[in-house]
Amino acid sequence: GFGISMAEAAVLSKYPRKKIGSLRALKTDVPVRFAYPTKDIENMLVKLGAQAGGGVGPSKDVVAFNPVCTHMGGPLGEKYNAQYKILGQCPFHQSTFDLTRHGMIVSGHGTESLPQVLLETEGDDIYATGFIGLVYGRKSNV
Amino acid sequence: MSTSHYIPDDKVPLPPPDAEVFTTCCDYCIVACGYKVYRWPLGTEGGAKAKENALKRDYPLGPLAGNWVGPNQHNIVTANGKQYHIAVVADADTEAVNLGGDHSIRGGCIAQKVFNPNTPTRDRLQRPMVRVFDTLMPVTWDFALDIAAEISKYVIKNHSENAWACKTNSYQFMENQYAITRFALKDINTPAFAWHDSPCIGEESAGIAFTGFSTFAPSYWDRANADVLFISGTDPFETKTILWNEWIMPAIRDKGMKVIMVMPRKTAGAAYAEANGGLFLDVIPGTDPVLYNAITRLLIENNQVDMEFIKNWTSNFNTELWETESGFGRGTRNTHWQWITTWGKLEAKGFEDFKKWVLGEKETEIGKASEITGVSVEKIKKAAEMLANGNGKKKVSFAYEKGNYWSNNYLGTASLASLALMTGCGNRPGRMLGRLGGHQRGGLGGGNYPGNKSPDKFGGRRRLTMDVDRWVESGHVRFAWVVGTTWVSAMAGSQSQMNTFSKLTRGNPHQVMSLVKEEIIETLKKRVDSGGMVVVNQDIYLRDPIGAKYADIVFPVATWGEADFTRANGERRLRLYSKFCDAPGEAQPDWWIIAQWAKKMGFEGYDWKDSNDVITEGARFSRGRQDNNYDALAWMAKQKGVKFHDLLRKFGTTGIQTPTVLVDENYKYDRPGGEHTMPKAMKDSPDLRHGGLKVIGLARLHDSEWDLPSEHFGARYIDPKNLVSFNTQSGKANWLKSPWDMYSDFHEYMSPKDDELRITNGRVNEIWQSGFDDVERRPYITQRFPEQFIELHPDDAKARGIESGDMVVAYSDRIPVWKDQQMGTNANDTKFGALLKNGHVKMTSASVTAVAMVTPAVKKGVGFMYFLHPTQPANSLAARIVDPLTNQYRYKIGIGKVKRIGESPYKRDFHTMTFVRRDLV
Repeated sequence: GFGISMAEAAVLSKYPRKKIGSLRALKTDVPVRFAYPTKDIENMLVKLGAQAGGGVGPSKDVVAFNPVCTHMGGPLGEKYNAQYKILGQCPFHQSTFDLTRHGMIVSGHGTESLPQVLLETEGDDIYATGFIGLVYGRKSNV
Repeated sequence: MSTSHYIPDDKVPLPPPDAEVFTTCCDYCIVACGYKVYRWPLGTEGGAKAKENALKRDYPLGPLAGNWVGPNQHNIVTANGKQYHIAVVADADTEAVNLGGDHSIRGGCIAQKVFNPNTPTRDRLQRPMVRVFDTLMPVTWDFALDIAAEISKYVIKNHSENAWACKTNSYQFMENQYAITRFALKDINTPAFAWHDSPCIGEESAGIAFTGFSTFAPSYWDRANADVLFISGTDPFETKTILWNEWIMPAIRDKGMKVIMVMPRKTAGAAYAEANGGLFLDVIPGTDPVLYNAITRLLIENNQVDMEFIKNWTSNFNTELWETESGFGRGTRNTHWQWITTWGKLEAKGFEDFKKWVLGEKETEIGKASEITGVSVEKIKKAAEMLANGNGKKKVSFAYEKGNYWSNNYLGTASLASLALMTGCGNRPGRMLGRLGGHQRGGLGGGNYPGNKSPDKFGGRRRLTMDVDRWVESGHVRFAWVVGTTWVSAMAGSQSQMNTFSKLTRGNPHQVMSLVKEEIIETLKKRVDSGGMVVVNQDIYLRDPIGAKYADIVFPVATWGEADFTRANGERRLRLYSKFCDAPGEAQPDWWIIAQWAKKMGFEGYDWKDSNDVITEGARFSRGRQDNNYDALAWMAKQKGVKFHDLLRKFGTTGIQTPTVLVDENYKYDRPGGEHTMPKAMKDSPDLRHGGLKVIGLARLHDSEWDLPSEHFGARYIDPKNLVSFNTQSGKANWLKSPWDMYSDFHEYMSPKDDELRITNGRVNEIWQSGFDDVERRPYITQRFPEQFIELHPDDAKARGIESGDMVVAYSDRIPVWKDQQMGTNANDTKFGALLKNGHVKMTSASVTAVAMVTPAVKKGVGFMYFLHPTQPANSLAARIVDPLTNQYRYKIGIGKVKRIGESPYKRDFHTMTFVRRDLV
């Protein structure tokens, strides 16, 4: 079970395909922001330096997530923990999420995994192609 | 192509403005957050603007807005035979508990609990079943109930009511608890009765209760208004999520409250407390009394005890009536502890006597204490500094839970209570001691325990309530009624107990091979006469092994959301849990099943039409209870001519804090925390006024600074002493000794030999009081915890060649099981060493598999497992040796070797399980 299966990708085909960055520009453990699928949803692209579920690139370690806590909307954008490859603790109520495991809750209260942006690469370019999960505070992502 | 893992949804329907709204509370932990259930027909949907949805919110929501409907808050149900959408959402408008709509991961996903044949809830029990040809076959209610009634009557007549045993949950709603206890205790009148979490019905934290503390006296306000909060044997981050999130954590963050936590494993809450001026005491399981008495000794030696409080509020500082030495030479009368006394071993004749005892105990010397407890001398000193309260100005509160009283039950609780008294904790706002709690409070006694029939007796005066597990083990039970619990897997020494159950049921030659009712009854009569046992199990799912392997009859039960029910939370807050959907198939509430069964046995007074009839009848039995005493409110409902459930419904998700009491209608209750006792709108409501009286709720028990109103309580009975003083004969607290030598031989036996580890167990935030739903039936949680795990310290893991994600087996061939001898004549007869020497203990073996999680958060030498995994019961490795003073289990005290057997599939699979440590701040 490495990466995203075909079934998941098929479910999510309504999302736009959008270029969001390049492999060469990414530094390990330095997250960058990008908007997707609309300009008001800001996400985080990060090269973890460790293989991850849904990871792209030669080391399958480049992933993207929506960094808003699924519990009560806590901001996790500044809470990347490079040692453990997690987001958190959430400044509101201490939830943590594992970025190597599709944003799964490690400890805490989020009722959803962190929504993961589906990625593809084309040469050096990184494309966002869809979402797994619902961004906090919304009824749909698009 | 299908996938074997969980795929989350990326959209969810919102309730339209005309959706029906029901109030309820979470079904899981004791905090019981308030929830609203929105219900609307399939094919309709609300919009993103506030005026387009029933939540009255503009989407998308900002941070902390509350009322978000995520995919796990949505489900589809059947109600009145039609299909509806539901959204089950933490109530952002509630005036208590989960302020602002905060919720745990468990409550946040509770919509997934509801029966929906398209989800993993599809295996809800729907039909009564009888085991024939070793297969559970569907029959009618009458058919199954006739057999249960006939065999019950036969067993009672030929083998006595002591051979008719009941093992039941104690919490799954007051209406059901009333019916269960009325049937088993009043009408059948058996002493073979035990709760789901204990081998007996006795006091769960006796040392606390005997000191004079009511275990649920504090309100959540008190937890957020102390200077120092000392928490023994639990982390509320893991198990009382919203009490932590909305009360304790904000007090640490905003008011500088210092929290001390005592556990063998550092959790996220403990790490947070420590990072914010608090302290984490990494105790070896079972050694709590040595730690607490050592801190007590330091406080005494440093003259840092609150002498003013001790003089005013503890026994025997003067010679007034009813203190320790008075009362016709019978000690502090009407408190339980005198009856288990060992003639001088446990009771102290006041503070001076206690002080002399604690200073004279060799284990309380700090160096020795550090050696026994594994807590450093520096940390013990630091704890004493933080608790120092010589001038009485510091507000110190205490809280505790199962890490304490499921390790070393009596001594752990008695020593914690005496430490609390030293710091001036008790009887005042923000200075309260109480349990944090496990399940919600659903107790309502419909009958008294027939104590004189119990064969159990500790070397003292009065009999103990029966250890029912030992009663089964020694072959005395012929009929077992199991209500809403797994029984064997939930008890200590589980695998040894499974052997016994298997032998008495499946191993008996008399097995049913006919669907003719009379032949079934004849066969089961032969079973019980030959020493075997008939098992009736009622539950919402078929549990393995109790239902799937041992039960002869299975009754399907209706539960949360399927009938109107009543229950209280951990601050005695009573609320209505509304019906909003149909029960699956022919499932019925426990009270209904019992009523039909009791009538078939010829018992009278079971003609209840609905659950409101049951709660109304039970009201007078709630008098005098410390929790969920609703008699005054039921009286008011009667005066007003309304159904009790309908009056309680008006309190919504805020509810009312019990005891409910009657006061003069002009009286203003303005105690600290009083703003949360009931909804503002109900405080002046004419619904609660009659004859110059009104109903109020109370923030706390033991509030000595409260001037009781002169016209209190009107016609409704409640003991006013409990409201303003300790719960003892004198109203003052008792000093109880906790001598280590009553436990030390057991501790020594259960300490690691060779390369063994101490195997303890506990809970995690993501599964807590919810395992019956989420471990197997909530894909979102199943992906996180697909099976049992064991946390191992890196040094212990390395020595065994174990990495995170490896599959290990934890095993032992020296798990002691107390197998017989219910009577102790002398105090020492029931000490572990004496039981062993006199042949009352058998050695059993146990083994469970688990996935390793290597983390420095767990103390070296200790393996930590999840308490109740259905297929891998960690407590198989716990000794089945009760605390002889109280008959309570020592679940946390286990032992075993740990060996790698290979890799689990989760080690290299990114979809399931994570191995990141949980204690990061």
